[in-house]
Amino acid sequence: MSANIPVLFRTYLSHETHSGCKIWEAARATSAAPTFFKRIEIGRNQPFIDGGLGRNNPSRVVLDEANTLFRARPIGCLVSIGTGQAGIISIKKPGFLQQVLPTDVIEALRAISTDCEATHEDMLRFFDNSPNTYFRLNVDQGMQEIEFSEWEKLANVEAHTMQYMKRKEVDEKLALVINAIKFTSTQLTIEQLSME
Amino acid sequence: MDVDTAITYYGKLVNQVFSSSKLWPRDGRFKATKLEEAIKTVVGDVTSNPEEPLLEIGNSSVCRT
Repeated sequence: MSANIPVLFRTYLSHETHSGCKIWEAARATSAAPTFFKRIEIGRNQPFIDGGLGRNNPSRVVLDEANTLFRARPIGCLVSIGTGQAGIISIKKPGFLQQVLPTDVIEALRAISTDCEATHEDMLRFFDNSPNTYFRLNVDQGMQEIEFSEWEKLANVEAHTMQYMKRKEVDEKLALVINAIKFTSTQLTIEQLSME
Repeated sequence: MDVDTAITYYGKLVNQVFSSSKLWPRDGRFKATKLEEAIKTVVGDVTSNPEEPLLEIGNSSVCRT
């Protein structure tokens, strides 16, 4: 991400010039979360930081991209998978050593979770007239205690996810997701949806 | 890469990268070089070239995500 304009790392050719970067560089750039890792420079010394700082939920970006690529084709479905309920994503208070970090970065991290659910609300509105096209799955209990550097807690993540999947409403939603992936029911293109 | 393989690799990667934090956390608490090494290992295992370009030429059967 450069300033507020997201940079898309594509594995295919598009209307934009490809940066010609390597797989590891793209992976490194998308994980350059402030306070965790330093930023990375690719190509013409352009610094990248993780898209979490403004595009934590990339649904809107992906719709724009799909619209550019497949303009005339009807949309099958959009499945969005969250990493834990918004507002409770754990960001610890800065410790003594972290106080050397710029406070605006820490403030920006706090803003991530609200950005995420706002995009979800936008998507619900966007797909209002096209039932069973947009789905969001998000483990909303237990994950708030797990910071993303806590590698030893992978088993906890699995346990919380399994609990979530067992819930009746989630189980029913999953059946609809599978159906939507297998059989495209909507005849609307993204462009048509935008005009409604 | 299928989901189960991805989870296995993720487990290994976070272990390598996050098991020790930097003594003096300037520009981030964890070593970016360790992360880079870990990512390159995964890329190398899957594509047989740690420096593999992101852009796919032709119809490659290997999923990069």
